[in-house]
Amino acid sequence: MMASSMNGLLPKGMFGRFVKALLPTALIWFTGSVGVGAMDAETLVVSSFNYMRGKASISTVEMVIHRPDWERRMTIKAWTKGEKESLLIITAPPKDKGNGTLKKGREMWIYNPKVNRVMKLPPSMMSQAWMGSDFSNNDLAKSDSLIYDYSHRVIETEINAGKKVYHIESRPKPDAPVVWGMLKLKIREDLILLSETFFDEELKPVKVMTTLEIQLLGGKLYPKVWKMQKAGTQDEYTLLDYKALSFKPGLPDRFFTVSNLKTIRR
Amino acid sequence: MYLQLAWRNIWRNPRRTTVILLAIIIGVWSMIFENALMRGITVGMIKNSIATLTGHIQIHRRGYRSDPVIENSITEPEAVIAALKRILPPGTQWAARVRVNGIASNARHSSGVTLVGIDPASEAKVSFIGDAIAGGHQLQPDDPHAIVVGEALLDKFETKIGHKLVLMSQDTNQEIASKAFRIVGTFKAEMQSTEKQFVFITRKAAQQMLKLRQGLSEVSIVLPDQQESGVASRLKAILSPNGYEVNTWKELLPFLRAYLKLLDVFVYIWSLVIFIAMGFGIVNTTLMAVFERIREFGLMKALGMKPWWIVRQVLTESFLLLIIGIIMGNILAFLTVLALSDSGIDLSALAAGAEFAGMTRVIYPIVSIKDWSIANLLVMVLGLLICIYPAAKAAKFTPIEALAYT
Repeated sequence: MMASSMNGLLPKGMFGRFVKALLPTALIWFTGSVGVGAMDAETLVVSSFNYMRGKASISTVEMVIHRPDWERRMTIKAWTKGEKESLLIITAPPKDKGNGTLKKGREMWIYNPKVNRVMKLPPSMMSQAWMGSDFSNNDLAKSDSLIYDYSHRVIETEINAGKKVYHIESRPKPDAPVVWGMLKLKIREDLILLSETFFDEELKPVKVMTTLEIQLLGGKLYPKVWKMQKAGTQDEYTLLDYKALSFKPGLPDRFFTVSNLKTIRR
Repeated sequence: MYLQLAWRNIWRNPRRTTVILLAIIIGVWSMIFENALMRGITVGMIKNSIATLTGHIQIHRRGYRSDPVIENSITEPEAVIAALKRILPPGTQWAARVRVNGIASNARHSSGVTLVGIDPASEAKVSFIGDAIAGGHQLQPDDPHAIVVGEALLDKFETKIGHKLVLMSQDTNQEIASKAFRIVGTFKAEMQSTEKQFVFITRKAAQQMLKLRQGLSEVSIVLPDQQESGVASRLKAILSPNGYEVNTWKELLPFLRAYLKLLDVFVYIWSLVIFIAMGFGIVNTTLMAVFERIREFGLMKALGMKPWWIVRQVLTESFLLLIIGIIMGNILAFLTVLALSDSGIDLSALAAGAEFAGMTRVIYPIVSIKDWSIANLLVMVLGLLICIYPAAKAAKFTPIEALAYT
């Protein structure tokens, strides 16, 4: 579902099959906006997706869940590798410390240190909120859905602060098991995702994700703050704020295992 | 002579007689009508439960009933179907289904549902879904993306016919299977909970989505007559050794069965309560009549009437009152039931409350011979029994006492 929302939380690596897609991207780096203009929407989305993820990453994120009458903050340490694997551990507040989520492919496990149990998420829990935020378990598990389940089309371009911004309309492929009627993406010419809007089948917006404070993070330009907001509300949102982010060439496979989910305490 | 005397006696005070008659009529009417209503509720519940994907007999793989997961499905349905063809009497309808729990979601909502994969043609003859389509159209057997949902679910999900619904469930490889369906029709059911619980897709689509191949979850059988126990035991003899479970609806719906028993007892208690209220009225009025006529009884005794004859006299009067009341009460009750037999009592306005009690939206009162005779016998026998008290009182007066009484 919300692929790029997770890209933010879990920057991921490029894969062999995307190398082809990335070649034009590399060209763009050097040729500038002219090259981007020549790129089709599909390539643009895939390139952006991969740019936001990197090969592997370690990050510390502060998540703020804001509601009209309360607000909750937690700090998450995240390891990601490729597009399939990620491991999230909550490090603060002490009440939630040690709670972990492991994602491999489209399967997820959660670990609760209080009962010392690892549970594989059943389908019935996939559409529930992850840790009470505006992200659902599905958003994490199906983060690559944006690439596989949609067909993309550039509908307009604009110049914002000297950079070209592509407005992309993504429609789900006929048989794709996605609930959204349409997505609208805004991608800057340097492949940074600016916003993603989720529409229902009546094409009314349901929720909006925006990225803010684009700056140098982990060696490349990256949005520091990600905000997921329900459409039509001002005070119901979830913020992800990157406190630290570093991209790695790789992480060992054994890192993303159920046993590590239980033992990792950092 | 008793009869003639009694008849004239009861009309000596027409107003009092009318009041007591009214009490009896209302009592008898409410007993018969109330019982008919109770029967109507239970018959409605049974019919509804059998039509709501239960049937008279069901066949499962052993273990499915306690744990309805995909691993407990019937993997080789050929053996079961062969047994069915051999044993089922002519006129029997049966349907094979895939039935698992899953999650339905669209952009705004998601909720747990029971995903049912059906063969539309054979299912129509077995369960309610055949003639329950309220909007759009019925499933077509060759449409792999069609889904039929309840009206209530449609409202809950704020969606409409033609829109998409994504179903998620666990497949046979323990992985999460999800597939997008398009709503082609809606159904209306007796209960809102049924409309919210079940979503129907084609059997093939379900088998493909869940990687079941030819696998089934259950086979549901509806017999032409309700003689399910014989057929069930014959099926059991063949299928039980092979790891299948054969159950009749009475075993499948233990709660309903207990509820029916409870209602049976409740009918008696209710009748008794009505009778006690009515009985006090009868005794009171008869006693009044007796005291009014003390001098008359004294005179009769002085003329040589035996106490027993006086008891007989008073009881005959009560008997006449009771029989008139019962006949009129019966007529009234039958008229009421007849008037309601077409339209029934529509509880749609109170549907939420009725559903809580497990009742259907419309109640059709049903009079059973058993309930009817119980009500009438109860009023007649107990009515006469309690009238013995005033009658004995009347017989006890001596002529001297009667003369002294003013």
